[in-house]
This record gives sequence, structure tokens and C-alpha cells, in this order.
Amino acid sequence: MSASENYLLQAKDVTVRFGGLTAVDAVSMNIALGELVGIMGPNGAGKTTFFNAISGVTPLTSGQLKVDGRSLTGALPHQFAKRGLARTFQTPRVFSDLPVSENIRFGLMFAGRRPRKYVFWGEEKGVPWALRDTASILSVIGLSELADMPAGAITPSQQRVLEIGMALSTRPRILLLDEVAAGLTEIEVEEMARLIRRLRDELDLSVIWIEHAVKVLLKHVERVIVLNQGKMIVDGKPSDVVRNKEVIEAYLGDEMVNDTEGLT
Amino acid sequence: MSVTAWIELIFSGLITGGIYALVALGLNLQYGLMRILNIAHGEFLMLGAYLTWMVQTSFGISPFLMIPVSFVVLMGMGLLIHWLCFRRLTATSSNIDIFEARGLMVSFGLMFLIQNLVSAIWGGELRGYDYMAEPVVMGQAQFAGNKLVVFAMALVFSLGLMVLLRKTLLGKGVRALMQSQVGAQLVGINTRTLHPLMFGIGLGLSGLAGCLLSMAYTISPAMGEPYTVTALIVITLGGFGSMGGALAGGLLLGVIEAFGMHFTNPSLKALLSYVVFIGVLLLRPKGLFTK
Amino acid sequence: MNTNANLWRDVLVLFGLTGWALALPSYGNEFVVSMALTCLMYVALSTSWGFFCGSSRYLSLATSAFFGLGAYTTAMNLDSMPWASAIALGSGIAAAVAVVMGLAVLHLRGTYFAVLTFGMAELIRHAISYYEKSVHGTVGRVLTTVPEMSTIYHTVLLLAVITVALSIFLRRTRFGLALLGIGGDEQRAQTLGVNTRWVKVAGFAFTAAVAGGVGAAMAVRWTYIDPHTAFNPFIGFQTVLIALIGGAMTLWGPLIAAIVFSILAETLRLQAPQIYMMTLGLLLILSVLYLPGGLASMRWQTFKDWYRDMRQWYKDTRYEWSGDKARDKQRAKERRIVGL
Repeated sequence: MSASENYLLQAKDVTVRFGGLTAVDAVSMNIALGELVGIMGPNGAGKTTFFNAISGVTPLTSGQLKVDGRSLTGALPHQFAKRGLARTFQTPRVFSDLPVSENIRFGLMFAGRRPRKYVFWGEEKGVPWALRDTASILSVIGLSELADMPAGAITPSQQRVLEIGMALSTRPRILLLDEVAAGLTEIEVEEMARLIRRLRDELDLSVIWIEHAVKVLLKHVERVIVLNQGKMIVDGKPSDVVRNKEVIEAYLGDEMVNDTEGLT
Repeated sequence: MSVTAWIELIFSGLITGGIYALVALGLNLQYGLMRILNIAHGEFLMLGAYLTWMVQTSFGISPFLMIPVSFVVLMGMGLLIHWLCFRRLTATSSNIDIFEARGLMVSFGLMFLIQNLVSAIWGGELRGYDYMAEPVVMGQAQFAGNKLVVFAMALVFSLGLMVLLRKTLLGKGVRALMQSQVGAQLVGINTRTLHPLMFGIGLGLSGLAGCLLSMAYTISPAMGEPYTVTALIVITLGGFGSMGGALAGGLLLGVIEAFGMHFTNPSLKALLSYVVFIGVLLLRPKGLFTK
Repeated sequence: MNTNANLWRDVLVLFGLTGWALALPSYGNEFVVSMALTCLMYVALSTSWGFFCGSSRYLSLATSAFFGLGAYTTAMNLDSMPWASAIALGSGIAAAVAVVMGLAVLHLRGTYFAVLTFGMAELIRHAISYYEKSVHGTVGRVLTTVPEMSTIYHTVLLLAVITVALSIFLRRTRFGLALLGIGGDEQRAQTLGVNTRWVKVAGFAFTAAVAGGVGAAMAVRWTYIDPHTAFNPFIGFQTVLIALIGGAMTLWGPLIAAIVFSILAETLRLQAPQIYMMTLGLLLILSVLYLPGGLASMRWQTFKDWYRDMRQWYKDTRYEWSGDKARDKQRAKERRIVGL
């Protein structure tokens, strides 16, 4: 059995072009089970476009994608969801007219369905205990008291957490988080980071996390990928990435490279 | 077919096309700028036509005089309608798609309202009057005088509108709004006055088109709908919001129809227009002339 | 929300209405039965339209096309096949056309979709017109074998009951939830596992099947049909109006509105058809502006909100017109300049 069988996500030379603009330029990465990977990069680096490409929302111009061993190049978003790839969006997109519990139930009814023990009844097979039903998912993300409120009526940071809950309701194996810490206070950011680590640890998930708040990201993830202008410039441990000259140049400009030599 | 016949065919197509372009201008302005798909557009055209007809037959006033009058009257109507209906929609719709859908439904209701109001007041029979109906001879081809006038006016107004949009400050403001609502507001362009103004101008243009059309064609309360559809097809061909595209699209549609009617069956005209419409919407939804 | 208690309530109401409608021909005169027939037709049309278009926000204007297709199926085939088959065939053909249309067109956004369905409906009408003229050499058709009024009535009643029953049950299933998701945020629904393409096509085909069946049944009411009457766009428009005014997303809204408007139509339409249509148009505008959820969404709170909005508007206008607003603005400006 080759090593590629163990990867949950295999992206090879993924390229996304819009007319004349190359938003993502031949990015390749392999994510194994249980990894907590961070993606960072300055504005316009193509991070969200990359997410859109690997979740089927934006079609690839070229490249290949394999999720859980199955080739999903050119597949539609619902097929990605069914293979266990769930994602959140940068601005929380919840169903504002439906109550919070129905928002969670949505994923459970579609991509989150698993075959039952006795065909039509009994427990679902292969489902983590914490994700067994709407109530348990709500308690994992901490929104149990808000179950009956319409999703449009809760605060934006609560909506962000609801987004994660909706992604979890599809019982994913790999979770894509797009800037979930944006706009949160320092304490909230820490809580979010801890939640993400807990999800990874307790639910056997792989998590890919795009974040602008570089410090938070570097503190909590085990592997960092840096994108700049559509290309991947580095893929490694946080401590190495932070010293990488290209990364510093991308964020701070080339004059700063020498100045920051001794800093970290 | 002789050269004269070809020229006559192409030109008659262009003339009809010019009329189509004029009819489409107002709709284009409203949809391209405000995403209001005014499906009652043809009804306002019909109102302009009826107004002109009434004034012509009762007081004998020339339709040329009615051109500015019908424009102003319908522009006032447009301002009123915008203030009554669309302002509230802008305030209560949470996103642009909902606004578009609701705007469509409101104009739906307007279509019913206006068409039947006219039908109730003036009855459903065909009406008309003759004005400059003698044929004008150009070379070896012949065209009706009034149709030539309509074509000329159509060109004048289309090009005039394009110049207005491109050169004047008002026009630049309108184009800025078409590209980005928020951005335009941030640089100080006043949407509160510009929106009703543009809506009014759009309706005024359709009233003007109706006035011109009443010179050459018969009018009836139901005449509006085919023109709405034609206007829709034209702005689809030309790309939403592009005035030059509407002009080109209108002329193209006119020529296609003329050729289609000549070489196949005249009763296939409507079929042909719809096929073109659906084809463009499916294959090139941004219009034929956009890059 | 969609609890079992509600389900029993809905089913019971449906039973009650069905029983009443069944009994109607026995004690009503011809006029009443005819009105009830039109009413049932619009109940079926608007309920199915509301079920798909209300939840998913894809406004279909193609109802007349499917209705006409069903009508023509009956007209062309009633001589050679039994009544039930003709209805089923009409329904089936309409649904098949809807599947083809839907696959081609349902990836477009709301307004494009509405305009395109309208265009396609007109296209079908003109195509059939042309086909009749060139291939059959006629403009219209005469229907020779016409079943009894009670057959027609019971057929349309059955179609209406099936439609409402399906609407009651389907909206509680995954299918109904998928449609709601598509209407709420289609892309989000896709990333949560909904195969939006097929869900939309299925919903669209549902509206078409109902319209086709109803058209097939109602065709025999006119002894002579031509494309103009069978594909009359007004049928489609009225369906949309009724569903929207009644409350497209609700279950009973379209039904209630269908009843109200059928009564209105039969009473007004003969004396003053224009007044009837003008009322329709005006009601639609008012409903979209002030009651976007339709009649069925009216609650006591709605009236309270309207009253509150009116008082606020009155206060604002008085503030502006009495010059107070100008004075306050001036004072605020002065304060800023002085730097207080």
C-alpha cells in the first residue's frame, strides 16, 4: 500500500485562473489524518480561492484533487461534502430564517447521514459520539441555550461558531476553517483556538485553518503553509516558517528582512 | 435578389432595430443601474403612445411637440412610482437578490394595473392616426416617412444618452453607481436623488418611444407586452447596463428578424426572437458584445 | 415547527375541505360548481408553485406552458385513449419538458431564471402555433369526446387534493428542507451535501406535472382550443399572483388566496374584467411592499408593526416639515464649528 493512501487530502498543482488573473498557481499539498495545518499569507495571496477550489465551489483550471483516496477533480460541492470535506466561509453564511437547531440539523440530513445499524433504525455507524445528534453538536460548540433562536438574530461571533457547528454536522474527516478568528477579541480568539484543538483531538479530524492573526496561528498549529500571490512559498514547522526570508519579505517587504534577522 | 432588394431588407431591419434599441434604453438604465427589472416597461410606452394619440386626435397637436411632453409626464410618473414603491423596497430588502425579486413582482403588479386601467378608460380596440405616412424614396428603395423619422430619433436619443453617460458628470456618477453602489456613495454620489432620477428618466424614455411609435403603428392597450419582451431581448443581447450594447443589440435583432421573416415564414418572427433570446441567455449571459 | 401535532392538524383540515368540495355538486347550482372548479384548479396550480418557488426563490413563469401542453395532449389524444390515461400523459409530458428545461436553465440566478422561463413558455406557445398551422393546417382544435362535468370536477378535485397532500408531506422531508436551503443560501446548502441541481429539477418538474394534469383536465371545458387560449399567459400570471399574495412559502396561504380570488374573479370578471385585473395588480404591489410573506403570514403583530410604522412616518414628516429638523441640523453644525 503506498503512502498516498493515508492522506485525506491530496492536492496536486491546483491552479485557478479567472480570465487573466492567476489566483492560485500550482499549489500542491498533502494532508494526513489528524493534522492541524495553518495557511497564512498576505492579502490577495489566494487563500480563500484555494479553499474554494478544494471544496468544489470554484472549478479548477488545472490540477488534481483527491479526497480520502477518491479523485474529486471537477466535482460539485455536495460530492466533496459527502466524502467528508467540510468548510466554513469567511463571512458566516447561516440560514438566517431557520432556528439555530435547524441550521445544525441541515448538515445531519444531507452530507452527515451515515448508514444505520439495521438499515432503517438503530444507531448510525462510524459516527463520533460527540456528533451523534443536534443537541450534542450544539453542546460541543457551546450554543445549546440558543437552539431555538433564528440564526439571523444571534451575534456575528456566535454565528461564526454556528458555522463551525454546521460544518461539523456533516461528520467530516477534514475541516476547512476560513478566518474564523477575524474580528474577535483576544480572549475570544484564544477560546476559538482551544475549541479547534479540541475538535481535532476529540473528533479525529484534520483541520486546515486560514488565518490572518499570525501569532495565534503559529502558536496553535503544527504545520504552516504560506501562500503569496497564488504560489506556495513555504511548508513546514511554525518555528522554521517564521524565520524564512521569503515569508518575511512577503509580509513586511524586502527592506525588513535584515532588520528582523535576530528577532524571533 | 437584386441589390436594391437587399438594401431595402437590411435597412428595414435597421429601422425596426433602431426602434427596438430606443425602446430598450429605458429598461437598460433601470436594470443596469438599480437592478429593477421593470416588466411593466411596455405599459409605460403604451401610455406615452396613448397620450400622444389622444392629444393628436382631440387637439390636433403634432406628435413632435408631444415628444418632450410625453418624456416629462412619464418622468414625473416615474419619480412618483419610485417614491411610492421602490424606496420602501430598498429599505426593507436584506440583500440585492431579494430586492431584485421583489422589484420584479412589483413591476408585475404595475403591468396589470396600468394595462387594465388604460383598457378600462379607452377600450380595447385598435386605434391610430396617420402622420407623415407617405413613402420617402431614397435611391431605388422606399420607406415610410414616419418610420424614417422614428429611426432618426431613435439614433439621436441613443447616441445622446451614450454621450451623456460618458462625458457629463451626471453620467459618470450613474456609471459609477452601476459598477459599485457602496463605492459610489463613499465618493459622495448621492443615491437618494440619483436613483429616482434615473428611474424617472428610464420611464420618460419609454414614454418618448411610445410617442414616436404612435406615429407609425397602431396602438392598443395590449401593445406594451411585445415591446417589453423585445426590450428584454435587446438588453440581453447587448449586455445589461451597456447603452452601446443596447443600440448594437437592437439593430442586430431588427436585422435578424427582417432576414428571418424574409427567408422563412413571417409567422416565425416571434419564434425566432425567442430562440435568439434563450440562446444568448444560455450561452453568453453577459451579452454578445462584452469581452 | 413541523411537529406531529401540526401534521395531524393539516391532514384533518385537508380531509374537511375535501369532504366539503365533494359534497358541493350535490347542492350547488351550475354556476357555483363552475366557480368551484376554477378554484380547485388554482388551488392545485398555486400550491405546487408555492411549494417549489416559494421555498427555493426560483420564480417560474412557465406555468402557462405546462398547462397548455397538458391541454393539447388531451385535445390530440382523447379520441384514442381513456380519460385517466390522457390526464396522466399530459402530466407526464409536461414533467418531461420541465426536466429538460430545468437541466438547461436552473443553474441561473433568480431573475434570469424567471425571465427565461417566461421566454420558454412563449417559445413553446409559438412553436405549437406554428406546428399546428404548418403540419395540421389548422389554427385550433375541436374537442369531440367530452366527458361529463362531474368527471371533470372530480378529476380536478383529485389533482388538487394530491397536490396539497404532497405539499403537506414533502415539506417535512429532506426534499422540503433542501428546497428551503436552496432558497436561503444555495451555495451553503451545496457545501452541506445537497445535490441542488436535481432537487431544483425535481421541484420544477413537480410544478409542471401538476400544471400539465390540470391543463389536461380543464381543456375539455372549452370545446374549441387554440394556442392562444391553451397557453394563455394569464393563467401563469394569476397562479404566481395568488401564490405570492397568499404567502408562497406557506402551506395554506396559496389555497386561501385561490379561494378568495376565484370568488372575486367569477363575480367581478364578467362585469368589469379590467377592475378585477387592476385589483390583482394593486394587491400584488401592496402585498410585496407591506406583507412580503403573504396573507398567511399576517399576525396581530403585523398590524401593530404597521401602526407603529405609520406613527413613525407621521412623526418624521412633521419633524421635517415644521422646520425643526433644519434648526437641529444648523445647531449641530454650529456646535461642530465652535468645537464644543
